[in-house]
Amino acid sequence: MAGLLRRPDPNRRAWRVVLAVVRRAVLLAVLLAVVFAAVELLPGDAATATSERGEGEAALAERRHLLGLDRPLFTRFWEWMAGLPTGDLGTSARGVPVAELLGGPFPNTLLLGGLALAVTAAVSPALGCWASLRPGGAVDRTVRGSATAVLALPEFVVAVGLLLVLSSWTGWFPAVTLTGPDGGVADPSMLVLPVLALAIPQIGWNTRIARAALADESRAPHIETAVLDGLPRRRILLHHLLPGAVPAIAIGVATSTGMLFGGAVVVETVFNYPGIGGVLTGAVTDRDAPLVAGVVALTGAVITGVLLVADLLRVRFTGGRA
Amino acid sequence: MDLTRRRFLWAGGGVGAAALLAACSEGGTSASSGADSGPPRKGGTLRIGALGRSGAVIRDPHGTQSNESDYLIISLLFDTLTAPGRGTNTAARLASAWKASDDLKTWRFTIAEGATFHDGSPVTADDVVWSLRRLRDTPAGASRLPGIRSENITADGAGTVVLVSDYANAELPLLTRLTTFVMKKDTKDSELDRAPGTGPFKLDRFRDGNARLVRNDRWHGGAVLLDAIEVTLFQTPQAMANALLGGQIDVASNVGPVAARIAAARRDIQVIRRPDDMAMPIVMRTADGPFADARVREALRLAVDRDAMVEQVLSGYGTVGNDVLGTGDPAYVGAGIAQRRRDLVKARQLLRQAAFDTSKTYELYTTEDIAGLAESATLFATQVREAGVDIKVVKQESAAFWDKTWLKGDLYTSYWGTNDSVVFFASKTMVSDSGQNESGWKDPAFDTAYRKAIGAADAGERKAALREIQRIQHERSGYILWGMADGIDLAGPKVRGLPRLPGYGRVQLERAWLAS
Repeated sequence: MAGLLRRPDPNRRAWRVVLAVVRRAVLLAVLLAVVFAAVELLPGDAATATSERGEGEAALAERRHLLGLDRPLFTRFWEWMAGLPTGDLGTSARGVPVAELLGGPFPNTLLLGGLALAVTAAVSPALGCWASLRPGGAVDRTVRGSATAVLALPEFVVAVGLLLVLSSWTGWFPAVTLTGPDGGVADPSMLVLPVLALAIPQIGWNTRIARAALADESRAPHIETAVLDGLPRRRILLHHLLPGAVPAIAIGVATSTGMLFGGAVVVETVFNYPGIGGVLTGAVTDRDAPLVAGVVALTGAVITGVLLVADLLRVRFTGGRA
Repeated sequence: MDLTRRRFLWAGGGVGAAALLAACSEGGTSASSGADSGPPRKGGTLRIGALGRSGAVIRDPHGTQSNESDYLIISLLFDTLTAPGRGTNTAARLASAWKASDDLKTWRFTIAEGATFHDGSPVTADDVVWSLRRLRDTPAGASRLPGIRSENITADGAGTVVLVSDYANAELPLLTRLTTFVMKKDTKDSELDRAPGTGPFKLDRFRDGNARLVRNDRWHGGAVLLDAIEVTLFQTPQAMANALLGGQIDVASNVGPVAARIAAARRDIQVIRRPDDMAMPIVMRTADGPFADARVREALRLAVDRDAMVEQVLSGYGTVGNDVLGTGDPAYVGAGIAQRRRDLVKARQLLRQAAFDTSKTYELYTTEDIAGLAESATLFATQVREAGVDIKVVKQESAAFWDKTWLKGDLYTSYWGTNDSVVFFASKTMVSDSGQNESGWKDPAFDTAYRKAIGAADAGERKAALREIQRIQHERSGYILWGMADGIDLAGPKVRGLPRLPGYGRVQLERAWLAS
């Protein structure tokens, strides 16, 4: 018990943060190496994929040389990595700087993913709490049942369903996202369907987590005391149960970030959303390793960042208890 | 000149959703596709969707455009020397006239009167020469301007450009149709984004493959009616179809037969069919291998059920082929050669005569590069099984196909988007020394007929040679051309004057207008 009461050494805590950052950065670097290697393993290469009919072997060889494809994979990867700290993401197979190619789409995807994350973070705990008010009641069963149902749905199915109901049949929202003059989404109403398509499966998942975390917490001794004291349910929920469940909920939402980016590729395609999903699918077709790696680096950095924040939040809330 | 590769797939589920949609919308006949009624009206902004991938956007008019959206934007901004036309396969564009020397080697192109760049400066022969040389010096230059060396492109005064071919070529103007975009002399690569063109529209803004273009009031080719055109890049045909059905765009360019079937239930949507748009031939290797015997190839051509192919693979949006490529050419013989029909008895007989090993399984390689291609292979395999030939379809990933199978395989599917010239296919894919001889075909009689056709100054002589090219091709080439797919555009109720030509003819939007 005495250990728990002692204030943690601030130096040690800073070290832990640095270590966590380094560990995640190394993981990201390994991931990028795997991505490079995976693109290499696909049949064909960037030179053939971006050529047109009628280019002879000589032209292809020249293109290969220009793209540096005649050098070993490791050298190419290393050079690409060396540029990263300066913000240089390399050049695509079509000769355009990767940073330029992602400059428009990446913020759009961030907006889409960020909004979906915000919706998830707001709705899931609320639903979880609502269900927890009367454990085993009608609301609880409905919420848990539908949460399980939607978390099993692929984003694609959700997207197409939303498209049919909220656009084609009712005409409430635009079916497709158009790009505005500034490269962003032309109209905010165009965000509704993609955000919902992305958020709904995650809401299902996180509602389950929130409900379970609250149930766990309700078995804690101080809650039983509160119940025995005859405090109102609502008060118990908001003041006693929820704070204890926050770390688990935060981690759940944070892990959703990765799923959101994965789902974004699919959802963006369905709604023609001008994000990195389209860039990524095209880059894979073009065997464009720097472009694929650029997308992975940016999304990986965001996911890493969110997970790190969640880690720190957990440490803060639990004070090292977990 | 080339069809750039297109790899847009109908991702499964979207089609399902679209079909569902169709089932839910009310029935009815399709709108009369584009009755150009009433006097053309000036003004309005046409919102058009075209396929593309945002990571593959190319701004260079002489680059390798794999995005239809890029090609559309570029061809509205820049003029080519000549263009595909109606009734003739080579119509005037930036060049108003052309004339050959008696030996058909030297061609003189006259630049159109009053042609100016968007910045007001006149188009000179120097600009054209610089642009053509730039095009010729690209990696694919040799196939874009075959037989014309860079140094043989010269200016004669301010208004004439002279091209000298290494050999007699009566079809040389045909080569200048699709990629000879003209820029100002000495345009730097770094300035391509803003380079002034000479085309019917000027660039207003461009962002990530989407663009807004405004009318060029001084266009040499006549009055342009639309105020502006907004081009939106779509990653998939189904998203594009949804945008059209939802009224977010006015035209869905080259959207395909599935979308057309859906739209057929909507009275307010025009379905525009452009015949002879896409050839999807099956290629049999003639040089060696199991199909080297002409009788085997004949047998397979007799085994295919062409009507069923058009009906099932193209949803009926197409026409039956007769194993001769270049069906959109005014010189295409068509009825001049008897239509080959399914004859399983004769097919079996030919296979026996050729001692074809029917106990073996033969692989047919295909890709999903374009809609319907893999389906055509599967249906073909089912059909020829009835003639006793066992074919297994192998779906290859696009890059692997172009790398390993194309030009080399024994049996594979191919596709071509330039179909309005018999000579184009002859020169590109069938003459013995052609660079893209897909079936490894070497036929002296065919070569002779080809040389006659491109070397004939006399129209009658040329016509006879062209007939001979087609007759030999029909009889013994390595191609099974079972049908031709229509190009399909969808348009909203107000759009008028859309192009009806196959292939890249679809980008000629300068005569389009919007009814009030």
